[in-house]
Amino acid sequence: MPHHNTKENANMSFSEEVTHRHGGETLTACYQCGTCASSCPVARLDARFNPREIIKLSLLGEKQEILTGDAIWLCTSCFNCQERCPQDVEIADVIYALRNIALEAGNSPNIYADFASALIADGRIVAISKFVEKKREEYGLPPLKAVHVEALNTILSATGFTKPEKKEASQ
Amino acid sequence: MTSYAIFLGCTIPARQPNYELSARKTLEKLGVELVDLDGFTCCCPPPIQSINLESSQAIAAYNICLAEEAGLDIVALCNGCFESLAMVNAALKKDKELKTHVNEVLAKVGKEYQGTIEVKHFLQVLMEDIGLEKIKANVVKPLNKLNVAPFYGCHSLRPSKLLQLDDPERPQILENLLEALGATPLEYRNKLKCCGGLLKGISDDTALALAREKLMNTTKAGADCISTLCPFCFVALDIGQIQVKSKYQEVYDIPIMHYSELIALALGVDPEELAIKSHKVKADKVLEKIA
Amino acid sequence: MEQPKVGVFLSDCGKQLSDILDFDALTNFVKNVPNVALIARGSEFWRGNGLKAIVDAIKGGKINRVVVAESLPKLSEVNIAQAVSDAGLNSYLVEVIDLKDHCAWPHRSAPAEATEKAKAMLLSAIERAKLLEPIEKLEFPTLKSALIIGGGIAGMQTAVDLADLGFEVNLIEKAPFLGGLAARAGRFFPTDDCAICIQSPSSDVKTITHTSRKCVYRSGFSEIPNLSILTNAEVVSVEGVPGNYKVTIEKKPRYVDADKCVVCGKCAEVCPVETPDEYNANLNNRKAIYLNVPTVHPQIYAIDEDACKFQECAKCVAVCPTNAIDLGQQTEQVTLNVGSIVVATGFKEFDSSNIKEYHYDEYPDVITNLELARMIDGFGPTGGKIIRPSDGKPAKKIVFVQCAGSRDRRYNPYCSSICCMISLKNASLVKEANPDAEISICYIDIRTTGREHEYYYERARDMGIKFVKGRPTEIYNDEEKGKLIVDVEDALLKRFLDLEADLVVLAAAMVPAEGTAELAEILGLDLEADGFFKEYNAKLRPTETKKRGIYLCGGATFPKDAPTASLHAHSAAMKAAKFLTSGKIVKDQRTAIINEDYCGDCEFCPVMCPYGAITLEPTTEDHFVAKVNEILCEGCGVCVGTCPLNAIELRHSRPNQMSAQMNALLSVNGTSKPLVLAFCCQECGHTAVDSSGMAKMEYPANVRIIKVPCAGIVRVNQILEAYKAGAQAVMIVGCKTDGCHYEVGSAKAEKKMDMAKILLKEYGIEPERLEMFKMVFIEGAQFAEAAKMMTERAAKLGTLKLMGDS
Repeated sequence: MPHHNTKENANMSFSEEVTHRHGGETLTACYQCGTCASSCPVARLDARFNPREIIKLSLLGEKQEILTGDAIWLCTSCFNCQERCPQDVEIADVIYALRNIALEAGNSPNIYADFASALIADGRIVAISKFVEKKREEYGLPPLKAVHVEALNTILSATGFTKPEKKEASQ
Repeated sequence: MTSYAIFLGCTIPARQPNYELSARKTLEKLGVELVDLDGFTCCCPPPIQSINLESSQAIAAYNICLAEEAGLDIVALCNGCFESLAMVNAALKKDKELKTHVNEVLAKVGKEYQGTIEVKHFLQVLMEDIGLEKIKANVVKPLNKLNVAPFYGCHSLRPSKLLQLDDPERPQILENLLEALGATPLEYRNKLKCCGGLLKGISDDTALALAREKLMNTTKAGADCISTLCPFCFVALDIGQIQVKSKYQEVYDIPIMHYSELIALALGVDPEELAIKSHKVKADKVLEKIA
Repeated sequence: MEQPKVGVFLSDCGKQLSDILDFDALTNFVKNVPNVALIARGSEFWRGNGLKAIVDAIKGGKINRVVVAESLPKLSEVNIAQAVSDAGLNSYLVEVIDLKDHCAWPHRSAPAEATEKAKAMLLSAIERAKLLEPIEKLEFPTLKSALIIGGGIAGMQTAVDLADLGFEVNLIEKAPFLGGLAARAGRFFPTDDCAICIQSPSSDVKTITHTSRKCVYRSGFSEIPNLSILTNAEVVSVEGVPGNYKVTIEKKPRYVDADKCVVCGKCAEVCPVETPDEYNANLNNRKAIYLNVPTVHPQIYAIDEDACKFQECAKCVAVCPTNAIDLGQQTEQVTLNVGSIVVATGFKEFDSSNIKEYHYDEYPDVITNLELARMIDGFGPTGGKIIRPSDGKPAKKIVFVQCAGSRDRRYNPYCSSICCMISLKNASLVKEANPDAEISICYIDIRTTGREHEYYYERARDMGIKFVKGRPTEIYNDEEKGKLIVDVEDALLKRFLDLEADLVVLAAAMVPAEGTAELAEILGLDLEADGFFKEYNAKLRPTETKKRGIYLCGGATFPKDAPTASLHAHSAAMKAAKFLTSGKIVKDQRTAIINEDYCGDCEFCPVMCPYGAITLEPTTEDHFVAKVNEILCEGCGVCVGTCPLNAIELRHSRPNQMSAQMNALLSVNGTSKPLVLAFCCQECGHTAVDSSGMAKMEYPANVRIIKVPCAGIVRVNQILEAYKAGAQAVMIVGCKTDGCHYEVGSAKAEKKMDMAKILLKEYGIEPERLEMFKMVFIEGAQFAEAAKMMTERAAKLGTLKLMGDS
């Protein structure tokens, strides 16, 4: 099991690319029983998303469809599918791996750029305003401790964190 | 005295004083000391894992290192923080190769993950360190009149291989803790399914549809309130009711109560001290039944 | 002992070798080796005049050791050994080597080097021959009787076969009635006939006609004079050796005298106790004194100890017209002496309550296929009606869920192999009897691999049974509708179906029968990772075990349908009969011997021996020494390789014999390359060398082969010895781990080599000079590659410097 992402090479099939990724290791165990799909709260409500289909497309190497489509972003990471998969496919983790790949290829919903900007700037993904600080004091809550932003940024660059770019025309 | 490093995360200190106040006051009353450590960053929950899983793990490990240095176990209030930290803690304890790799990264910031502490959910501290009997003994305002729909959210329980809070198919910890307060926990359809919170900003319609289903099922079961463990579930179901009203013209008017709030109230904390007014769906119905 | 006089017989394999090897040089070389009394050259020595030359030399007293260089020694040495033996010389005083496949062909591009290697090989064979000692054949008497454990379909058929062949057969069954799991299944595929139908014995039982199969009650099965049946009985211990097992059996009381019971049923009528009927999946109650079903065998009532009130009640005793009931019966220990044991303990359904999301433990209307089969059975708890156990109402909507606990890494990763057919059969039977029933089968893959099996699938579709491709995530109870809901995605439609059901039938996985692990422990047998008994060889010896005289059949090795279980039963019977029929075991004495002076209280060898052939016996001074049981010892030498005190030797592969061979093989180089010594096990390792030669693959002549019984025999000090004798690299070539002919030898060798590498470092030897390889016969190419690789590696490392060398 790889513990850091092995850089894909030109000869790798897409499914190999995924299994070489952190989170993607268990992809090939899937035998398409569909337990994940019936476990999924989103798949029933939104026809764009079906975890079984995402796994199948990845196995068949439908890279473009996976990386540029909406589907992989519609997973709520609830892990219901992963919990019940009879083949121990870590479906939610595979989807993280697919998102990581898509993001490096420049495809992601804009909200991820917001998360990343906040994380890089403040070490938090929800900003603490002056108003909040004042409110906390009123409630008798202790002042918030400093965040190690510098260390966090060192770790981000050591692990190849790419900041997603916002797309202008995106929905 | 039992001490924990409290891991607040990002959302709770910024937006949910009701959660933080009730949790702090509860643990204080029950004799648990909470230490606010310097330096904690974002836990790197699913949205950050979606950007880079490897970075996320290393940052979670960094935060665990801070607690290791202080010699304290971590208590997390937010399901997201609990999942991110506990998952990485369990994975690093199990997998030597992963540990070596993460420590190579941490060396750049002068840290080394040791594997000496536990990351616990707020519920685990109540269950394991305090215990049902002590909680029952401290209840001054029993919640006997309350029918509560327990809602675990996702990341308290799953992935169960790493989290091990409780049986992922038939969890009982929240039910037992509700019963300890005198409340009646209810069963309802799809209890263990997601609130949809993480889809906000990506597919708001689907997110809301999931929240709506939760509101329907708990209402059908006759719940006076839904008891949550996670700030995201809280928002999805609390503010979600306003959105459901405008989109579906359905009014549920079912208060969302963090378990921490219910226990604080049962232990006799004045509701005025708990910022309960910050709820969008007013909790008066619940407060009346407690008084 | 008489001075060795070695005769060397050099075959050029019909002039095939003389173009490559310089036979004159070989002859001259051999001539000067001490103790060589005769050299003969010829075209072949394994038959005809060549073989006669060997025989004549022995008969004439010229030689008392035989070295033959002949092609295909693994075949030719059989003939040679027989002829030598007929000529009055012990057949183990012969060494046959292969100058063709091990020398001339693989080194044909370098004839001069090949000739030098041939000299080394001949010298090695001669030196070994000088040290060989006669090996005697031993005979051990065996009893002509067998014990069959398990009275299901497989056990009963094995018992009939062996009894028909005239052996004394004891069949024991844990339950009070025979039939096992199969009997509860009601009907069987692919014949659609009764489950409880067995082959008739061919022995002379009056009123029984000799047709192929019969209902068990009229089969005459129980009347075969040399077959005795014990019910309520379990094996508690087994002692002894193959051919002479002493088995202790605990027989629980039935409380009803078999000789008196007339099956009138008056006892059950008056019995006041109602207890859940396990046989019928607890769908009904039965009395404490009972028959499973009216058609059961034996036709004798039995009392359920756990339910009966005994003397408090005793109403049955009072009412029994033949005084057959004896509430005072006690558990008995029965001892049986048998030559052979057949394990036929079968399998059972997996406990589906493990799959929490299916709520088998919570919802009464979630049942298993076996429970459904009880409902289908006319003698069953519902008289053949299909109902909802929750309220007894007819079940109209029925959903089958396949692979419940099978093909699931959380529980049983394997396919249970018969559940598709069971569901197709049960669904069709239900539909046939209730055409209104709405039946769906949720499946991942439908597997109908046997003859006539696909027809069941066809028929089911034809009958209107629906198929949903998908494994349900959950079964839940919709209280408003009063139905169960099966939550499944039809993957072909990519549509979510909430299938309503009155009854959900889980095709539960099949797992080893209760007590399988305990019985394996008692018998000293291994289990596979799946928990079933491990067969000796899945391909060729599917009903044998690593223990002589102990056989397996039916579902004890893996879930099986009835046709396969029958086949298996007959195979086990055949194997047991073959073992028992001569009344003796004949085996040679190539066994381990213990030097008791060196042996000292450790427990390595008894633990390592794959055959349980070594025990520790107390000596007078409160110490223990190892003792080898010669019937059980299979001569692998794993113990030799394990003993830290070098206190064990294997006859015919003694350390001095191996040293002499090694030194000889490494005494002549004749190539510019570093010498490499390969210890090859006589099974896959050595045959891989054969096959590389047969296929004329080339590798350098500096690679020298020494044959050992098993890679597990090689000791670390022998590897050091090889380096001292001039080897620059050492190869260990054994079988694949799973294919080791001695179970564990290859795996043990591999572990040992890992440790040896650490030790080599201590001695200042590069660990790269040692490597273990695992290959099979057909992998000659791999052997040639490995040989080249090790040569190159040794060349790169340069000349080995041993400590103490200057």
